[in-house]
Amino acid sequence: MTEERTTSLSEAGERIDFLQIFWTYFKIGLFTLGGGFAMAAILRHELVLKRGWISDYEFMSEMSTATLIPGAVAVNMAYLQGRRLRGKRGAFTASLGVILPSFLIILLIALFALPYFQNPHVKAFLKGCSLAIAGQIAYAAFVFGRKYLNTLHNIIICVLGLVLLLVFKAHPVFAVVSAGVLGYFLCRHREKRAE
Amino acid sequence: MRLLFQLLKSFMIIGIGAYGGGLVTIPLIQHEIVGTRGWLLFDEMASLLAIAQMTPGPIAVNAATFVGFRVAGSAGAAVATFGVVLPALSILFFGAPLIDRVKTNRHAAMFREGLQVGVLSLLFYAAWSYGSAAVGSLTQFFVAAGAFLTLVFLEGKIHPILVVLACGILGVFIF
Repeated sequence: MTEERTTSLSEAGERIDFLQIFWTYFKIGLFTLGGGFAMAAILRHELVLKRGWISDYEFMSEMSTATLIPGAVAVNMAYLQGRRLRGKRGAFTASLGVILPSFLIILLIALFALPYFQNPHVKAFLKGCSLAIAGQIAYAAFVFGRKYLNTLHNIIICVLGLVLLLVFKAHPVFAVVSAGVLGYFLCRHREKRAE
Repeated sequence: MRLLFQLLKSFMIIGIGAYGGGLVTIPLIQHEIVGTRGWLLFDEMASLLAIAQMTPGPIAVNAATFVGFRVAGSAGAAVATFGVVLPALSILFFGAPLIDRVKTNRHAAMFREGLQVGVLSLLFYAAWSYGSAAVGSLTQFFVAAGAFLTLVFLEGKIHPILVVLACGILGVFIF
């Protein structure tokens, strides 16, 4: 198993090459179907497991900020992680890296490939991909669930979030903020009891 | 020139409103591009969005490039894409240092812990809603479950992108 890397390279203060940052995010932008949450599994594989640039906790902390800021979660994540790796310039390098492939692919499709999307083989291929993406999102949920659902307190917050989303059809941002507020009061309660 | 400026403005509005990821953006794009501006017919927009969802990258970015191209060619594509990411990048540019400053604050840390668990709920929710939209039959369920189990048991050993490609190829044979 690939458990707990206690210090990531970014915490250790290692300087990561701009070209490497660009290429990593370019690859991520090139291959992630299904938006921000499907991307979480791929980003974690590249950044946490393979390269050790960022720890799981840093990753989740950036993901929560990225959800709370308007715009594509993928772009926000790239900005924040690039910023952690190499400051402002790193942030723009990573953002450009993640945006450029979609831009180029769409431009190419718009210019040449539009008719092919009616082809049944292409449709079947994309259907297969979309099923894998469902698996991929579930995998991301599993990995972070294993990490965070270790206290009763966190389980309560997570269940509340799910009830808000599934039962009350709350806006995702509202659910995340409510979880933050509940987390705050549960934490305070715990601290008071400890005193 | 006027058209390009309008594109920039429309997609900046979409960029600000795109709050909470991909699928939230779609009604916004519809409102702005089909309703307010009348740049595209609804059917045209629906097929563009379907392709935007099927191609890699954030849906908002894909849709911006696509609509921009339709409205004003390559320059339009560039301007619309720039417009859709500009609000987020500006907010992050000025906001990220502030976030760093409150990071060491004890109250902010308590709030933050809850936020992270909230994102976890969002992940479970995304798995459920995306999964139930994508999976339409038992065979399809087994493909999705197979992808999930492969990723869990070979964590870190197999690249998630490979699993997606393999399922795509499998799809060509069984669908």
